[in-house]
Amino acid sequence: MKLSGTVGFRDLETGVWVLEADDGKTYLLAGGDRKIKKSGARIEAEGDVDADSATIAMVGPRFVVKQYRFT
Amino acid sequence: MRKLLTLTFAVTMSLSLAACNRGSAAPEVDLTRPSYVTADLPDDPSARVPGRIVVDFVDGTTKAEIDAMETDWGVDLEFNSQEEGPIDSITTGAYEGDLDALLAKIRSNPQVEAAEPLMNVKASFVPNDPMYAQQWNLKAINIEQAWEVTRGKGVIVAVLDTGIAWENHDDFAVVPDLEDQRFVEGWDFVNDDAHANDDHGHGTHVAGTIAQATNNGEGVAGVAFDATLMPVKVLDHFGSGNTADIADAIRWAADHGAKVINMSLGGGGRSDVMEKAVMYARNKGVVVVCAAGNGGRGVVEYPAAYPGSFAVAAVGPTGTKAPYSSWGKELDIAAPGGDKSQGEAAGIIQNTIDPQDVSQAVYASYQGTSMATPHVAGVAALLFAAGAKNPDQVEKAIILGAKAAPGTKGWTDQFGHGLLNAKGALDALKKLRAADVNELLPDEVQAAQQQPVVTDTVSVYSYSATNWKVFGWGAGLLAFVLLTLGRKERPGYLNVLATPGFLVPMLLTTVGVFFVQSFASPNAITTAITLPIPDWLNRIIFGRGSLANPLVYSAALPIVLSLFAIKFKGMRAMVGGLAIGFAAILGYSAWANAPALAWMPFTFLAIPWLAGNALVCLFLARAMLKKETA
Repeated sequence: MKLSGTVGFRDLETGVWVLEADDGKTYLLAGGDRKIKKSGARIEAEGDVDADSATIAMVGPRFVVKQYRFT
Repeated sequence: MRKLLTLTFAVTMSLSLAACNRGSAAPEVDLTRPSYVTADLPDDPSARVPGRIVVDFVDGTTKAEIDAMETDWGVDLEFNSQEEGPIDSITTGAYEGDLDALLAKIRSNPQVEAAEPLMNVKASFVPNDPMYAQQWNLKAINIEQAWEVTRGKGVIVAVLDTGIAWENHDDFAVVPDLEDQRFVEGWDFVNDDAHANDDHGHGTHVAGTIAQATNNGEGVAGVAFDATLMPVKVLDHFGSGNTADIADAIRWAADHGAKVINMSLGGGGRSDVMEKAVMYARNKGVVVVCAAGNGGRGVVEYPAAYPGSFAVAAVGPTGTKAPYSSWGKELDIAAPGGDKSQGEAAGIIQNTIDPQDVSQAVYASYQGTSMATPHVAGVAALLFAAGAKNPDQVEKAIILGAKAAPGTKGWTDQFGHGLLNAKGALDALKKLRAADVNELLPDEVQAAQQQPVVTDTVSVYSYSATNWKVFGWGAGLLAFVLLTLGRKERPGYLNVLATPGFLVPMLLTTVGVFFVQSFASPNAITTAITLPIPDWLNRIIFGRGSLANPLVYSAALPIVLSLFAIKFKGMRAMVGGLAIGFAAILGYSAWANAPALAWMPFTFLAIPWLAGNALVCLFLARAMLKKETA
């Protein structure tokens, strides 16, 4: 699925990267490459929501990014 | 507590205590001794003031009344404090001879509220860990006083997380502030081996809050530092894992001796597999403590939201809700999780690995509901060490011992039942156990009662939603009734079962509307009506999850209906079916070692009650089925 939104870092637990998506939900970022970790950057990403994982972050569903671009 | 304050204070300086090493910890409290119930302190014989006792009279007792009583006891009691005078009526005095016999005699007087040996009160235990002063979170849960009672010795706490830095293996190394702590071998469900080491940093931090080495002159302290940790790795090196592994791990930990399971993790949808695993652990006597979630929203994450879990929210140093902490109707309690919006010092500090090099140790300040959860798991371990018998007692003690969160009263969806209080929970446990008459029964009887008969939360008794066993009992009892009737009185074997007026009430009483399940998805209504009739009544009148009520689980309903059937003969088949069904369900419950009934003072009375009522029902059924032989 395609999501667009803002990348953010949250000082929670050991540090958590999220995508605050335009659909109003917060996703835990996974996949992509390390350059995606840019707080405040807007991205458009293609990936899958993983509804089966539990995490230490507990901020929302995991979004595994396959491809993304900054907008 | 008033009693405590008025004892003579021969305060042992905290520093001298702190100098003691961990090995010489205060003795664990033996709560099985009834005398403990009257004392506020663990009865440590070395703390007694030789030859002196303290007696607390009913408030308002005068000196003249006391003088009259004390001659009989052979002691000379004086008011402890002149200011108090006769208002508080606490006295101390010297005695000679057998202390226990004397105290028993004094306690039997109705004017006496409490009598015990006079004891020196020690200042609370302050450990010598250099960074202990920064651990606002431990003081917030009143831990120092709790440590005077117990430090969690002998209780296994499983940490289902990213692992724990607990052994020197490969490039893993024990972090210094977990050295010499007690561990049992766990399991790594991610890599499928016995080396559940931490390759992330989260699990070691969480484990530290539960049982960091304390009073060892190094680093920081932990809540239940004499407890035994079980490292169970379910999350990978990015801190994420799947529900199947976690469900496996919950069962594994429960099967390998864990009394407490800490899950500082969440997310994923509702999983039947995980929900059942949580219930399995709880039915095995394990407290399952889970983090509410960090979404800062009104959704409690799974597994915290499952019925068997104890869900924990996070607060900052002032006891206000941490901004990230999620909330909701499933919350049970709030504990310190840190609030770094108030500065780095407002986080929770523990010893863990450097996330970039697993062999290096750091002291890290983290915040999250993950950090709040192990505070509760630690207190649960303290409660088990202090004699709690089951998860119910542990959870009740935590709830009853909680402090009200600022500006709240009772349960709220932000804090659950309030703020965690370790000493409060231990005090509450003492009261719970004193109030539980079952505690007076011999250990083996109590152990028999602990056998988890209930394997399904749907019903207060042990059947799953459709229990053909009870119907089988009904059929057997019916055959018995028919066989005991004379040939002329007998209505005919198949005739009875073919009569809808008889068969339908019998089915409803034993298996409920069982066929609903085959086409309707399970929800509150369908599960309720697929229960046997006594369970419907119990649930409608007394609410879900309440104890079985002896009035509902009795012959009352068949008796009342049979009175009508004397006049209206057409009702007889129906009442007969109902009575057979009741006889079956009551008989089965008694046979299956029924759990406690509500209002019954002794649980062992439940079985005779059920069996007796089953017999009455059987007699009624026989009378109803008998054919008129006129």
